[in-house]
Parts: sequence; structure tokens; C-alpha cells
Amino acid sequence: MKYLALSFTGSLILSFMGSLCPALLYNLDMKKAFWAGLSGSVGWLTYIFFKNYTDQVIFATFMGAIAVSIYSETLARLLKTPATILSVSGILPLVPGSGAYNTVQYMVQNRYQLGLTEGIKTMASAGSIALGIMIISALFRISTRKLKL
Amino acid sequence: MNIKEVANIAIKAGEILIKSGAEIYRVQETISNIFSSYNVKSESFVVLTGIIISAESEDNQTITLVKYISGSNIDLKKIEMVNSFSRTLKNNPLNYEEAMKKLEIIESIPIYPIYVRLLAAGITAFVYTILFNGKIYEAIIAFFISIVIYTVKGCFENMGLFLFFNYFVSCIIAGILCIVSTIILPYADIYKIAIGSVMILVPGLTITNGIKDALYGDTVSSLYRLTEAAFAAIAAASGIGIVFTAVLRYL
Repeated sequence: MKYLALSFTGSLILSFMGSLCPALLYNLDMKKAFWAGLSGSVGWLTYIFFKNYTDQVIFATFMGAIAVSIYSETLARLLKTPATILSVSGILPLVPGSGAYNTVQYMVQNRYQLGLTEGIKTMASAGSIALGIMIISALFRISTRKLKL
Repeated sequence: MNIKEVANIAIKAGEILIKSGAEIYRVQETISNIFSSYNVKSESFVVLTGIIISAESEDNQTITLVKYISGSNIDLKKIEMVNSFSRTLKNNPLNYEEAMKKLEIIESIPIYPIYVRLLAAGITAFVYTILFNGKIYEAIIAFFISIVIYTVKGCFENMGLFLFFNYFVSCIIAGILCIVSTIILPYADIYKIAIGSVMILVPGLTITNGIKDALYGDTVSSLYRLTEAAFAAIAAASGIGIVFTAVLRYL
């Protein structure tokens, strides 16, 4: 679909910057913003891989969110920060911001059918991101609790 | 240390967390961590607009504190620092003055200087325009429009306008700028520029946090967040939509 025109390096750099710059807007310090940017690249490349493989946007978003979450939970333990710090910026390329925007844009243009389709897609993508992050963080939580006991 | 001081520390930490955009379960966890590191029995109830804490002392006295919280500004550094603060408290319980001083330092952490934030806003717009398959010159236009939006938004925030109106007016200005840029550069795709440049206003984080809250069982806060996100998206898109529907047919 729309993202396939970019080369591998191109999308790597773009998704890195696309997570690093919002992380700076969210006032993260430079060193952690770098790792946050890298989590964006991890999520985006996973997303593109599964999207080419299955041609299913919502499934690809889910897998991207899982990749971001595994990355940030692992790195959070190494850097000793909350995992959210890294995952919040990492999921930004996956977050259906344009979907939310398109939904209302269609409504404004009297194209309600398209608006409804986009709206459902947006909700499903946002839900699948949250679900992916939830599953992984719950798994990590269970494993650390068991180790402590 | 008496229970009132502990409750004050906990409520201050919770307030900073909510204002910086942390999830509700994190706030609740931090508050109960702070209480348990001073060995105080407590119960807390947290929603996005306020915290209620009740603590019980050893001689069976109970105090309750209520704190109303309004407004939020996403700040990951504050979340991180409060988190590490509550962790260090567990190993080495500070006294009241030290702890409050530490929290005040965290509360007044500076944000990046304005030129860094403007550059970051611009590059965000540039990157997302290309990710949405725009051309380079469209991305450059979006870069500048996004800088303008960020400045306007910041000015309105300082004036104390509420979020819906703020986004609406910023996007009307963005829509006008998009139209001006397509008059100058007729080959540019106006929708690609618009999507890229309003990307910094899109409430993606709020949507995701809202769903996360719901999955953790904080449904009230989740509804609050999702409503806020819906209003922000509607404000942004209708601001641009009004300008486009009013002007585009005459071009």
C-alpha cells in the first residue's frame, strides 16, 4: 500500500527520527531519546515486514506493538527506567494518528461510509497496539515476580 | 514521621505523575510504594482529575487528603524521576523536608529550549509527511507549517485557552497556510501537507493510554482520556475541514 515506496534504510532513518523528535517534545533527555528513537525503528520495521507478509494492517500493527514492547521492556531493565518511557515514543509511528484525522476529514466531506470505515480501523489499530503492549508487559511482570519468589 | 507528612509526599508524587501524563495504575503503584516504604497502612483512589488518599496511623487515627488536579502536559522525564524517587525511598526513607525538596526539584525540571522544540516539531512533520508517502517539497512545507502550529499552540496554552478551542484555532491557521502554500506551489498535494503538519497535534498517546487504562480496570479515567482524545481529533480535523470546504472550491 502506501508505505512500500521507501527503501529499508530510508524507513529505518525516518522511523528513528519520527520517534526521537516527539520524545524530545515530551521532554525526554537526549540519551534516552536515542533509545526511544531506536524503539520506533524496531516497531516500524516489524510492522512493514508483517504488512508485506500478510497484507493485514491491524495484525501488522499488533506485531509492531509487540516488538516495541519486548524491546522497551528489555531495555528498561538495562537502563533502569520505566518501560513506558521507551514504548510511548516507539509506538508513535504505529499509532493511527492519520486514521483519526482521516475519519473526521471524511465526515466533514459528507463521506460518512468512508468515515465509518476509517473510524473502525482506527479504533482497532489503537486497541491492537494497547493489547500488544499489555500482553508483553504482563508476561514480563509475571516472570520477574516468579524470579523474586 | 507522622502520617500526614507521608500522605503529603504521596499526594505530591501522584500529582506530578498525573500531570505528566502517567497511566493510573502507575500512580496508584507509586503512592502505595511510598506508603509502604514508611510502613503506613493506606488506601488510595486515583482518577485523572483527582487523588483521594486515606492513611491510618498506629494509634488508630485516620486522615484523608483530597487533591483536585487539572490540566496535563506530557513530560516523560518527570515520570521517570518520580519513579526512581519512589524506588530510592524504599531502600532509604528520607525525612519530610528532604523528600519534599526532591519532589519540588522534580516538579520544576526545565523543558528543552524553544529552538530545540521547534526543530523537533518541524522534523516530526517532515518525517510523517514522507511516511505518508508525500514528496520532499511537501515535507518541507509541512516542516514550516508545523513550526507555526507549535508556536501558536504554545501561545494559546500560555493564555490559558482550553484544549478544544486551542486545537481548533491552530488548525484553522494551519489550513490557511496549507492553502497559501498550494497557491504558491500548485503541484503539492494539500492533504498530504495537512496530515503531516497536524501530526504533532494528533492525540495518539492519549488514545493508547486511554485503552491501557481500560485494560487495567480504570474505566473512569479511560473514558475521560478517550473523550479528550476524541475532542482533540474533532477539533483539529474540523478546523482544517472548515477552511478547506470554505476555500477549496474557489481555487
